[in-house]
Amino acid sequence: MAFALKRTPSTPSAPGVHPQALWSYRPQSDREAGDAIVSNLLLHWFPAKVYKPSLDWTYSFWLGTASAALFFLLILSGLPLLFLYVPSVERAYASVKDIEYVVTFGWWIRAVHRISAHLMVVAVALHLVRVFLTAAYRNGIGRSQRREWNWVLGVVMLLLTLFLSFTGYLLPWDQLAYWAVTVGTNIASSIPYVGPQMRELMIGGREIEQATLIRFYVLHCIMLPGALGVLFAYHMWRVRKDGGLAKADREALLPLPRVEPATPTKTYTLLGVARGTAPAITSSSLEVPGASVNAVPDLTRRAIIVTLGTFALVSILASLIASPLEEPANPLVTPNPAKAPWYFLWLQEIVTDTTIKLRSFTINGAFIGGVILPGLLVGVLTAWPWLDRTSADVVGVWFARERRRQTLVFLAVLLAILALTIVGTYLRGPYWNFYWPWEAWPEIPARI
Amino acid sequence: MSDTDPNSPSPTAPETDSRDARPDRRDFLLRLGIGAGVVAVGAQGAASLRALVPNVSYDAPTTVKLGAAREFPDGLKFLPDQRLYVFREGNTYHAISAVCTHLGCTVRAEALSQPETREVGGSALRLTHRFACPCHGSTYSGDGVNSSGPAPRPLAWYRLSVAPDDGQLVVDLADEVDRDFRLTLA
Repeated sequence: MAFALKRTPSTPSAPGVHPQALWSYRPQSDREAGDAIVSNLLLHWFPAKVYKPSLDWTYSFWLGTASAALFFLLILSGLPLLFLYVPSVERAYASVKDIEYVVTFGWWIRAVHRISAHLMVVAVALHLVRVFLTAAYRNGIGRSQRREWNWVLGVVMLLLTLFLSFTGYLLPWDQLAYWAVTVGTNIASSIPYVGPQMRELMIGGREIEQATLIRFYVLHCIMLPGALGVLFAYHMWRVRKDGGLAKADREALLPLPRVEPATPTKTYTLLGVARGTAPAITSSSLEVPGASVNAVPDLTRRAIIVTLGTFALVSILASLIASPLEEPANPLVTPNPAKAPWYFLWLQEIVTDTTIKLRSFTINGAFIGGVILPGLLVGVLTAWPWLDRTSADVVGVWFARERRRQTLVFLAVLLAILALTIVGTYLRGPYWNFYWPWEAWPEIPARI
Repeated sequence: MSDTDPNSPSPTAPETDSRDARPDRRDFLLRLGIGAGVVAVGAQGAASLRALVPNVSYDAPTTVKLGAAREFPDGLKFLPDQRLYVFREGNTYHAISAVCTHLGCTVRAEALSQPETREVGGSALRLTHRFACPCHGSTYSGDGVNSSGPAPRPLAWYRLSVAPDDGQLVVDLADEVDRDFRLTLA
């Protein structure tokens, strides 16, 4: 309060109306810090006060914030690309080539867009891993918490992120794009009965052509980012409604600081010694002084650091790593080996290995490995908050002892995915045969 | 709603029970409004989705002239536009699709070091090649039968014929045939 008086600004005429129009970066009082949130639209999904321990760098690793920063960076870097890219099968490849080699800084914008996309897949996946390992999809002690629904939203957003990547790498209309879409849409068509129609709806016909490109373009630029943006806003609102990070619940469960009964060490009156009482504090740990801090500036400062740090990392990587552009799409020749981007390689490996043959009866690996297994995985993941029967004590704890078994199973699945990705990346060569990384691939004539 | 509203339930009006049993005009109009909204949004959504299902598909023709039969080399020729392998052995011809039955990549032909003759579909067939898919490693023997990898079915064989007007070899990509098919020219 003493600080607030020092500045002598024009005092607010009404409660909630702050003298500074936008927001105060350096609030001088608790009231001013709270008003900074209330008066600013962008900060509306922040609480006025946050639990100090939930700001720990090593609890959440700020992966959600980083994902959001990458999403914004993707939108930002996508806007100039919208002006430069032409979604036509005749001109798409050439326009991407122009962006890469002719447009000033075009290579950099494209690299930022591409690297943000890769990092966003990483960040979103790690965010999911973090939430699982800390059981943050569980409700703690708060009233009307719906953390399990926020988990479901998160799973949907992960799928949208992957689908955004998938639709994105079709657009350059190079060999990677063409064959990825061939394989991807054929996986859809392996579903019995409805599959071929689904494929036709996805690619807008029976051949991968202009209709396919424009469909994926609209999905990539409007439908999927729009859906992701809406879900992101809802996700953040839910975090707020659920009382912040799960760790905040955890802190509230901690035992109250003990209020020592007054001991007659010092006596001023005889009465005090006789009764053995002193002023007692009755508060829950939620209200322990020092447990929470104002969102402005503690939370906003960290959010800005994470966002700017993410931007800086992407910018540096974009300057160092060139974006590849393969040969123009050629429906006549499949590259050898034809590899998916790294985050789909484990699926490519599964699709390769899961064709089941029972005498004359054969089920295509595309259906088992491309539809059923990933579907089951996503289904179990989505339903997990309702299957997890451990107590509320585990909420917000890394590797809680009570959840050891599910933690191990989760990590095992994760390791399997990682192992398959490594196999696909480093050990698969021409005709999808096994080769050691130091082994030379055989010469294969490009044309027959 | 004020206390004088005859529709409003009030502690002094015990006839509220009949209100639960029989929806009044207000309820009816509310449901009508919600229903109309749902129908309108649903129909517009369905119409928008239906518009994305193609009614016409401008596919390439399935019956294609491939050129004069005598100009085909003995052995194998790959036709990239049709994703098709055409085999010639003397005056008999057959055609095998190059589309992998697993996920639709184009298989490549690899020459066998030692051509072998095998009984295929009741008659002898000289196999000079095998096929391998670059996407997931399926392999097929020279008659198109899947031998390893995830491919669930053999490669398709298509009907070959001779054009009546100019005698060119014609493939019908909509007409799959058994592996006993041979086109023999006089």
